[in-house]
Amino acid sequence: MNAEASGINAARYIGERVLRKEDPRLLTGRGQFVDDISLPGMLHCAFARSMIARGRILSIDTAAARDVPGVHAVYTAEDLAKVSFTMHTFFMVPTSVKTPTLAEDHVAYVGEPLALVIADSRYIAEDAASLIEVEYEEEEPVVTLADAKSGPPVHPELENNIAGQMGDEDVDDELEAALNGAAHCMTQRVIHQRVSQSPMETRGVLATRDGPEELTLYITCQSPHAVARWVSLALGLPQAAIRVIAKDVGGAFGLKNHPWKEESSVIIAAMLFGRPLKWIEDRYENLTTANPAREQDITLRIAFDGEGRLVASHSEYDLNNGAYPQAVDEGMAAQMFLWSAYKLPAYGFLTRGWYTNTTGLAAYRGPWAMETLVRETALDKAARAMGIDPVELRRRNLVSLADQPTTSVLGLPLEDITPAECLEKLVGNFDVAAFRKEQAEARGQGRYLGLGIAAYIEPTASAGTMGVMTGELAQVRIEPTGKVTATMSTHSQGHGTATTMAQVIADRLGVPYEDVTVFEGDNSRGGFGPGAAGSRQGVIAGGAAIRASEMLADKVKALAAHLLNASPDNIVIAEGMIHVEGAPEMSRSLGEIAGIAYGEPDRLPPDLGTGLEIQYRYQPPPMTFTSAAHACVVEVDAETGFVKILRWISSEDCGTVINPAVVEGQISGGLAQAIGMVLLEEMPVDERGNPTAATYKDYLLPAVSDIPEFEFLHANTPSKSIGGMRGVGEGGAIIGPPTLVNAIADALSPFGEIDVLELPLTPSKILGIIEGRDIAGTEARREAPAAATQESAPAAEPAASSEPAAAPAPAAETKIDGDWKMLMKTPMGDQEMTGHFETSGSAVSGYLASPEGNQDFAGTVEGNVVKFDLKVEKPMKITLKYNLTFEGDSVSGKVKLGMLGSAKLSGERI
Amino acid sequence: MKPAPFDYVAPATIAEACQVLSEAGGGATVLAGGQTLMPLLNLRMSQPFIIVDINRIPDLKGITRADGGTRVGPVTRQADALADETLAAHLPVMVKALSHVGHYQTRNRGTVGGSVALGEPAAEMPATAVALGATIEVQSARGTRIVPADEFYLGPYMTVLEPDELVTAIHYPDWPSGHVMLFREVAQRPGDFALVGMVGALVADGGTISRAGIAWFGMGPTPIKARQAEAALVGQSLSGMDADAIAELAVADTAPFDDHHASAEYRRTVGKRIFARTLREALQVKEAA
Amino acid sequence: MSDHHIELTINGRRHVADVEGRMTLADMLRDDAGYTGVHLGCEHGVCGACTVIVDGRAVRSCLMLAAQADGAEVTTVEGLAEPDGTLHPVQQAMREEHALQCGFCTPGVVMTLAALTGGNEKPTEEALLGALSGHICRCTGYQGIRRAAKRLAAGTAGAAA
Repeated sequence: MNAEASGINAARYIGERVLRKEDPRLLTGRGQFVDDISLPGMLHCAFARSMIARGRILSIDTAAARDVPGVHAVYTAEDLAKVSFTMHTFFMVPTSVKTPTLAEDHVAYVGEPLALVIADSRYIAEDAASLIEVEYEEEEPVVTLADAKSGPPVHPELENNIAGQMGDEDVDDELEAALNGAAHCMTQRVIHQRVSQSPMETRGVLATRDGPEELTLYITCQSPHAVARWVSLALGLPQAAIRVIAKDVGGAFGLKNHPWKEESSVIIAAMLFGRPLKWIEDRYENLTTANPAREQDITLRIAFDGEGRLVASHSEYDLNNGAYPQAVDEGMAAQMFLWSAYKLPAYGFLTRGWYTNTTGLAAYRGPWAMETLVRETALDKAARAMGIDPVELRRRNLVSLADQPTTSVLGLPLEDITPAECLEKLVGNFDVAAFRKEQAEARGQGRYLGLGIAAYIEPTASAGTMGVMTGELAQVRIEPTGKVTATMSTHSQGHGTATTMAQVIADRLGVPYEDVTVFEGDNSRGGFGPGAAGSRQGVIAGGAAIRASEMLADKVKALAAHLLNASPDNIVIAEGMIHVEGAPEMSRSLGEIAGIAYGEPDRLPPDLGTGLEIQYRYQPPPMTFTSAAHACVVEVDAETGFVKILRWISSEDCGTVINPAVVEGQISGGLAQAIGMVLLEEMPVDERGNPTAATYKDYLLPAVSDIPEFEFLHANTPSKSIGGMRGVGEGGAIIGPPTLVNAIADALSPFGEIDVLELPLTPSKILGIIEGRDIAGTEARREAPAAATQESAPAAEPAASSEPAAAPAPAAETKIDGDWKMLMKTPMGDQEMTGHFETSGSAVSGYLASPEGNQDFAGTVEGNVVKFDLKVEKPMKITLKYNLTFEGDSVSGKVKLGMLGSAKLSGERI
Repeated sequence: MKPAPFDYVAPATIAEACQVLSEAGGGATVLAGGQTLMPLLNLRMSQPFIIVDINRIPDLKGITRADGGTRVGPVTRQADALADETLAAHLPVMVKALSHVGHYQTRNRGTVGGSVALGEPAAEMPATAVALGATIEVQSARGTRIVPADEFYLGPYMTVLEPDELVTAIHYPDWPSGHVMLFREVAQRPGDFALVGMVGALVADGGTISRAGIAWFGMGPTPIKARQAEAALVGQSLSGMDADAIAELAVADTAPFDDHHASAEYRRTVGKRIFARTLREALQVKEAA
Repeated sequence: MSDHHIELTINGRRHVADVEGRMTLADMLRDDAGYTGVHLGCEHGVCGACTVIVDGRAVRSCLMLAAQADGAEVTTVEGLAEPDGTLHPVQQAMREEHALQCGFCTPGVVMTLAALTGGNEKPTEEALLGALSGHICRCTGYQGIRRAAKRLAAGTAGAAA
């Protein structure tokens, strides 16, 4: 079978706006969210939490809490320690810093859970939790990025607050020269606020130990399979012992990839206490202690030639990871994609994640979105500075289909991205010239209209480069009734996969959509899938469902051909009926054939097994790109600084569209979140580390009145995956912010540029731009840009990195030969390995051993410095350039990771 | 977010309610519509021993004409007040302000008196009462007293109400028919508390302003009466009015603060603008009519 | 801490409960009466997910005490569709317009629209959209919700119940 040929022309359900299968249940209040589940004997949990951001715990007095009638137990870290539990990251490896469930001897952020109360009701649990007395020895918290750079380590076992770092600390000389020598060079700094994912259903879990060897979890999550895998690793239990059920989930957006401190504490407590325990996070907890997202600061320099063509670029990027991030984010993904859709000859960067005494970072729709925000806002600023139309500037620099195949400046292979084509389609449907005329007239009347345009590409459906991101499994059955059931590894938190998967199955199997039922949301059904993370399910599971359906259709055809004495090529399945071409009298219902397939083995062909069921796991290409260009028109009220969005057009290419309503729903949801991030949402943290937007009165989510009617243009360039889909889950949240910011900046251009883009653009800030004064008071509070901080505070740099150069040990004293235990800090986490070195004059050879195998190398040695190259396939094909300095019994150095920048390595002799 | 324990009582009469409040010795809180109190209870920011639910007291409901004005029972739902014909006829600005209070769903439950009595400084109802010169009738087991609205508010959620006292009516004096209504609110979303807002009424006789009542909300720790602007307006002829100068005076009486949503400087800047613009627009409309 | 015996009508059926004074109507409806379609999104009256109809009016059930509903007539989202499963016109309009994704905010949105379209008055589109500003939906960007409201205002989604 040929995936492309089996494609989209014959579609009857693919591409249709069919009604969703989930909706009748959800519209009538019959959804099953975690708090809707009750079990016999179930008790309720609440947490006592840290009131301070940083300090030693001197004592926790739970006596009064235990005395409250209706309280069954109060657990602290000491109690939970009876169960061995290791917190893991999203990548399913242990966290790089030890992450306790309940705080042990110290607290590292306000709201960190300290004790767990188990009671008859949530009411009583909260009564008791409020009676728990904690004594601390308070320490100065490290709250901001500036604090992180200069303050003491949040984690005492570390030498500084760097959670992860990639790229080069010194700008390459040639790059610097290219930047400085260019016709135009401009700088854009973006400070992104901390935001809350705010799924309408907060976090929650109902955990029950079913006997000594089984654990059942009802948990609101992004994949029951991923949760089962995570909990299995955390507990060291076989995965078969863990059942995870999440039928309906009220949104997740990156917050619910896996359990974190609270859910884990409840799971352990349920194992210890032996009764079902429920914890439903309340909104106060959610806004103050659930893992938030963003809080980043980037400074991007861009150089252009006299024609407005990109010459070179450099960025320095800092991310606040909080104390216990769900996975260290040093911003590598943002760097990887920052210029991937543009023709840029030279790029360099330094990107770092920092630990602080704030709630640890989690993902949020398009976690790397800063790349599109800083680039697209910078391009508009540059266009204005150079007097080039913003559309024209992008035309000159975007990678078009005609340019491909090509590779991005960081080596990313590009074969079929279409941002330039999406842009042309967009401006073909929006009269820019007419708008400019209207804008000029409006300005004459004191009305400030603005047009924002942005373009981007988005990596979707990632599979195979990171262990957790992989394929999807479709198990499709034609039941003896002739109706179709499919068990998918997918999971919906509103994505409508029970609908879209049923569409592709009905389409490819030739049965009515109404006859297909999709089961998901339970790890006992279907195989592993990481769920909704990285805009992947429609693409990968869609491909799996298509292929499985086609295989099943082939089996039906083979059986029908045998029974009807026809050639399989002449069998057609349509509307649940089986027809023989040219012989209408021979038509049979699918049910009739299925009945035979299951119940009358004697009638089957000898080589055909009974039953009608197929499973297929689809491993798609490693990455599938989605492209888009958006336009937005705003009016800014110069009297109040308010922004009204007048129009918004999306021109996106997500390949084959399974259901336009679902695709548009995904884009719309992302755009609404984008509008929230640009105009409304902010989770401020005060100087003591207290989150100060604790309710929805202070954390402003967009309402219907804030969101315009979106207009959609779909390009449909099929991808190389089965079915030709491209992911679309995150895009709106990525391209939305710069589109809106550009519109606002265009409207404000008569007043000047937005010097530093500090989100959200509140009315106070916008009025400040209009009037050229610091009305919001933010500029006075703002810290210096990252680059300046680095120059002025060299002491913040890790001391170890400069030592080898500063005090090289005499080579004679250093013996290189032998085995060394080494640790490399990479974007995917720490990599441990053993290095075996044998020197011979100026040559060195040996191997690096890791759990993934041994790799031989050969290189040079000069004094105590060893250099060698290694080619690797994962996470992508790159050459690693090792530069190691040996001193006594320790080794340190840098590894250049090609497009991934560089990683630090340290180790010691074994 | 579950309320701390309390005793719940729902008296049927004002006297009974006053009795409970009196005996509670400061430990009781009155529950009217609950649209502000219930969040505080759920968040445990308010932890009374007794909740006195006044929703079952018929005497506290309804809008009537009395003593040359309009008497609003405190437990009148905001939605009912919004649809009330008496209010529309006599106090159109009150109706306008009510349409900005919370959302449709909270107005269905929230009460006029609850909002007036709580004293959220950025809310519409307290400022409207202050602007229009309303008086607040307060009862306790000790007796009844009448407090002018502009003496009622002490600070955010702080009023002159003693712990044993209950608001039993808000009395809005009449403004002559044909008076000019002033209202402007700048809020980020519908239903949000104002970043800055102003409400009031003017009476113009023969081209000269004879009476002015204007108050700010969101411009300080309480609703703030724009006294200097009122004084400047009275006796002012419409033809020679300098709206900007009066707005400047109006802002001079305010004490805005920085919060999550806007800075004090923003509130002053925009407050002055909306004040001047509202004044200009309202009086032009009047002149044209 | 006081306890209260209450009797009310929920979705046309008599319901009797003994509740603590502090129990919210939302918790009583969910945990005591089993109407788990009443969703708790914020418990401070902003998100709107817990909206139910009490004595004909859409209100936040997280901002009422259960004891206050003694004698009241309450309708939750479970009480709208016909016994045979036929959706209420609001539910049907929402379905046809793809007005939901995760479905968590949905019951509240349905109840507001049902309350406004349930009487004899034909609400304007402006009135419906104004009322919808009291609901937070994090998934849809309100596109389908707005379309459903427009249809209901125009009366094209079938006769309102």
